[in-house]
Amino acid sequence: MASNDLVVGLEIGTSKICVVVGEGRPDGTLRILGVGQAPSRGVRKGEIVDFETAMKCVHEAVVDAEQKSDVMIRSIYVSVAGGHIQSFNNRGCVMVPEDRDEIDEQDIEDVKVSAREVSIPASNAFLHSIIQHYHVDGQDGVLNPVGMLGEKLEADFHIIHGVRNRIQNTIRCVKELPLEVEDVVFSALASAQVVLTQHQKNLGALVVDMGGGTTDYILYVDGAVKQSGVLGIGGDHVTNDISMALRIPMARAEKLKLEEGSCVLGNCLPGETILLKDDSGFAGKEIERETLNTIINLRVREIFELLKRKLEAEPFINYIGAGVFITGGCSLLDGIEHLAGESFEMPAHAAHAQTIAGLTSAFENPQFSTAIGLIKYAQAVQAERPARGFRRLIGKFFSYG
Amino acid sequence: MIQLSKNYTLPEREEEIIPIKIVGVGGAGANALDRIVLDGMEKADLIAINTDVQSLASSVAAHKVQLGRAVTRGLGAGGDPEVGQQAALESAEEIRPALANARMIFICTGLGGGTGSGAAPVVAQIAREAGSLVIVFATLPFSFEGKRRTAQAHAALGRLNQIAHAVICFENDRMGDMVAPKAGIHQAFAMADVTISQSARSIVNLIQRPGLIRIGFDDLLTALRSENGRCLFGFGESDSDNRAHDALRQALKNPLMDKGRMLADAAHVLVQVTGGPSMTLSEVEILMQELNRQVNEHTQILFGTAVDGRMGNRLAVTIISSLRAEIDVASDVAAPLPVPAPIWEQPQEAAAKIDILPQPPVLAPAPAPDLIPFEPPPPAAELPPPIAPVEKSRSRVIMPRKKSEPEEEPKPARQKFGQAKQEVLQFEPVTRGRFEKSEPTIIEGQDLDVPTFLRKNIRVK
Repeated sequence: MASNDLVVGLEIGTSKICVVVGEGRPDGTLRILGVGQAPSRGVRKGEIVDFETAMKCVHEAVVDAEQKSDVMIRSIYVSVAGGHIQSFNNRGCVMVPEDRDEIDEQDIEDVKVSAREVSIPASNAFLHSIIQHYHVDGQDGVLNPVGMLGEKLEADFHIIHGVRNRIQNTIRCVKELPLEVEDVVFSALASAQVVLTQHQKNLGALVVDMGGGTTDYILYVDGAVKQSGVLGIGGDHVTNDISMALRIPMARAEKLKLEEGSCVLGNCLPGETILLKDDSGFAGKEIERETLNTIINLRVREIFELLKRKLEAEPFINYIGAGVFITGGCSLLDGIEHLAGESFEMPAHAAHAQTIAGLTSAFENPQFSTAIGLIKYAQAVQAERPARGFRRLIGKFFSYG
Repeated sequence: MIQLSKNYTLPEREEEIIPIKIVGVGGAGANALDRIVLDGMEKADLIAINTDVQSLASSVAAHKVQLGRAVTRGLGAGGDPEVGQQAALESAEEIRPALANARMIFICTGLGGGTGSGAAPVVAQIAREAGSLVIVFATLPFSFEGKRRTAQAHAALGRLNQIAHAVICFENDRMGDMVAPKAGIHQAFAMADVTISQSARSIVNLIQRPGLIRIGFDDLLTALRSENGRCLFGFGESDSDNRAHDALRQALKNPLMDKGRMLADAAHVLVQVTGGPSMTLSEVEILMQELNRQVNEHTQILFGTAVDGRMGNRLAVTIISSLRAEIDVASDVAAPLPVPAPIWEQPQEAAAKIDILPQPPVLAPAPAPDLIPFEPPPPAAELPPPIAPVEKSRSRVIMPRKKSEPEEEPKPARQKFGQAKQEVLQFEPVTRGRFEKSEPTIIEGQDLDVPTFLRKNIRVK
């Protein structure tokens, strides 16, 4: 039955809500059937602030997706973002029972639980524990220890956690529709699934998902997640800066940013101006192009520098081989890869979903990276754990259903 | 030509060492004292005062005074405030030297029992006569301890309110709100002591830290001045990314704050923000903006800030305020007491005292050192003596008014302070545009919702 392989990803973003319907094929590839979207209201900085309104918008987007892909959506994967999400690396350790010397699935589960035995604030819940590497009796870099002989199994995990109630809000928003929530996924983790190839993950890469309200990042080294997090700044801040500096309404500032704005300075003629037209098409205010670009440049540069400082707290940024990949709505800003390359001092690319088939108009748009990434993530999870496992673990922390 | 070196620095402001004594009266007082020692308060003298020798022996305080050798013979007061008071009066001459030479005396006590309820007012009276600023931390008993104990506690509280400059009152019943429901009972009890210790420490720090905008004795007095009112106290500390917001929220969460609701009724609110060198102006601004939402617009805010290297990454907020009591209970009785007796007032004072303390003679001959460092009343108070005897019969009504004169005096100074505060706080009007109402994103001490070009002071256009 085809609907079994149907996976749906929902991203509740600050500027838009986007639903991607995908179909997993027997050969393991993914095809996008349709994309639904709706402008987002009631969301600030990646978090829901007006529940009712946000719910209506999600509903709109879901209906849109159902119409475009001609399927009934019942269950959904949801991404979460927001400044409250934090992460750290931790090592778990278990001893293999005396009566056997072969490591089995149960030990893997146990070591995961032991890695989670760290104190996070009481109000927080675990989102992900992502395996980095296993160590068996001190042997490093084991990728899959099942079946190996050993006494002591250790595992490094990257653990992502966030404020429970805020995550629950997102889940509730979907459940009220009503739709089944299959899983919640940290948005940058989802984006990375489609923006990066396995090869790039192995080389080491940084994915920066710059959305409207937040900038989410995730750093891969040696194919494993080493650092991740969220900065509560995004494209809205750029727009806000423009609106305040030029004293124009937000909507006008947003349009100006998209149509005329650039992150690169010194790229225009001295004194070159942009004529702002008012609603009736008459000439209104005149602004200097360099002014606009300076405002954008200052803000975006600051975001990158802040991010770089955050990443430099740990050594992993030095092991990036493939470079920086910028995705999300903000990556459409002209010259952003140039600025990112300058700030991070490494090759930078504006990237969109790569490893997927179907509607090109959908996957070539970096705004959909997270939602597409969700279905890729879902596919990977479903393949790996047919029935239980992940759901069971997650279910402990989010009791939905 | 004279050249001015531009990188001169102002001389470091020295920490002002104010002699402080912390007195624990009774069993609960001794516990609080132990906690204060544990938390490390090296700047203050600790004195334990109790009727019970056993409890006294186990106290960690350096200085100990046993009450009522004759009355209780080293046993406790047996839950009878009468006995506690007798004992304190008996030992008044021992208490007096112990309390001498302090500008500020904190008295920690648990009301409801014998020693706490009976002796604490006497100790406070002696402290007051020694010319110190007297702040009492009192815990009220749990309601399940019975009505009688509660009544005793309230009676004692009433007396303390009249004697001390300020009474900060902890209701044991509310300690339950502060600890997790599953926490052990010792934790709940420890909580009361922790709160007392924290409060005492932050008041001491408040006054002693050399601040950028200093908070002085006078400001503290203003904030605490209430006729028989209730003290509000909150303290919060945080080192998170959003530490200004978190610290304030924590301060308002303090059980003495009632979630900040009571601040709306306060006339004066004293706020001190302390942080390490990394504390930024915008953090302070955000904090004050948030606080302003809690208070009435007529409220006078006494603002102080200090940078202390020892704070590291932390940012601490202390809020002190007081509520007026609805009914101005017995202010006529209270008024004469605090002013340590110009001679002409003596008979009247004694009369007033009889209302409060059934056995005042022991206290009466107090050779009151007549200079109180923080109140400037002597000149004002000595002017009217010729009138006083004439109006003796009415003097009770008049006295409070006269007393209010010297109290009014520091006001101009305070208002000046208020204005200065406004000047300092009027930063460049920082606007956050559409993020005005959302939770601020603060990273590395900067409010990132404010446009970058404004923060970096880059002129565009």
